[in-house]
Amino acid sequence: MTAGVELWLTIGVMALLTLGLRGSFILLGERASLPPGVQRALRFAPVAALAALVAPDVLLDGGRFDPLDPKLAAALVVIVIASRSRNPWLPFLFGMGVLLVLRKGLGW
Amino acid sequence: MFDDSFRRGAREGFRLFLPLSIGLIPWALVTGVAMRSSGLSVAEAIGMNAIVFAGTAQLGSLPLLMMDAPMWLVALTTAALNLRFLIFSAAIAPAFRGYSLRRRLLSGYLLVDGVFAVCADRMLKCDDPRWRWGCFIAPSVWCWVLWQGFGLLGILGAGSLPADWSLEFMATIALLVMLVPMASTRPLLVSAVVGGLGAVMLRGLPLKLGLIAAIMAGMVSGFATERWIEARKS
Repeated sequence: MTAGVELWLTIGVMALLTLGLRGSFILLGERASLPPGVQRALRFAPVAALAALVAPDVLLDGGRFDPLDPKLAAALVVIVIASRSRNPWLPFLFGMGVLLVLRKGLGW
Repeated sequence: MFDDSFRRGAREGFRLFLPLSIGLIPWALVTGVAMRSSGLSVAEAIGMNAIVFAGTAQLGSLPLLMMDAPMWLVALTTAALNLRFLIFSAAIAPAFRGYSLRRRLLSGYLLVDGVFAVCADRMLKCDDPRWRWGCFIAPSVWCWVLWQGFGLLGILGAGSLPADWSLEFMATIALLVMLVPMASTRPLLVSAVVGGLGAVMLRGLPLKLGLIAAIMAGMVSGFATERWIEARKS
């Protein structure tokens, strides 16, 4: 776990980066604009980054793929719910529900 | 400052954003709980929530902070998750023409997806700078207050939740819930699959370079798929 001064520095860097990206063109004003080709390429960054962050956590258990991993089952339930409903609470309720029932109830 | 025109803009922006803002409540709660169950102290979690003020980046950084990843990796991942703001910023920038630097800085800090989605169009179409400012700042401040308030509730409430409930998995669920509607077209879906599988397969690379390589591969493959589909159509 990153901790102490290093954690605060990391938080500061994250904040500066976020402010820099959000503020970029608002601060530059009329002096700059983004070419359409670049805009199109950038659209793929958040999707690729989210998937790259989530996939190892969902697909691997201690560094190995396990088809009976409760996290995998919970993630599949979350994907099904999120693609069918816009209710913001349901994925958390059912995702955590499945995970806890499998882990605590059935001891997977 | 709070003249009639500003107030009308503020009312309009608030009215547009209110329904969407209710959806932020579970996110703020979950982000608060997830920060604490990932190992951040109360002060660190409150600090991150207030200083960074970007749910996706906050949740995305947690798995990296937990594995003690190097700072540059957290920075690059934050940048990738927040690159969308570059597009939002470019699109909404004309609505801030003629504003002071202080106002622009504040706007840069406060700009969020929801307010951009519902207010940018109206603001760009309006010629009255006071109306535009009202339309932006009212929903943005409301969003900030909601995020900090419910985030704090999650941060403080996390301590009274049982420690063995795998609550850190809430961060994974939150990231998944953001990911699913984003992968709405074939190129975006390709981008997600390549990025995800790439991160799994390249996890052995030194310095966690696999994550960055996977994100790059995901972006390139999505963009290439889009070009390929267009080429086939024409």
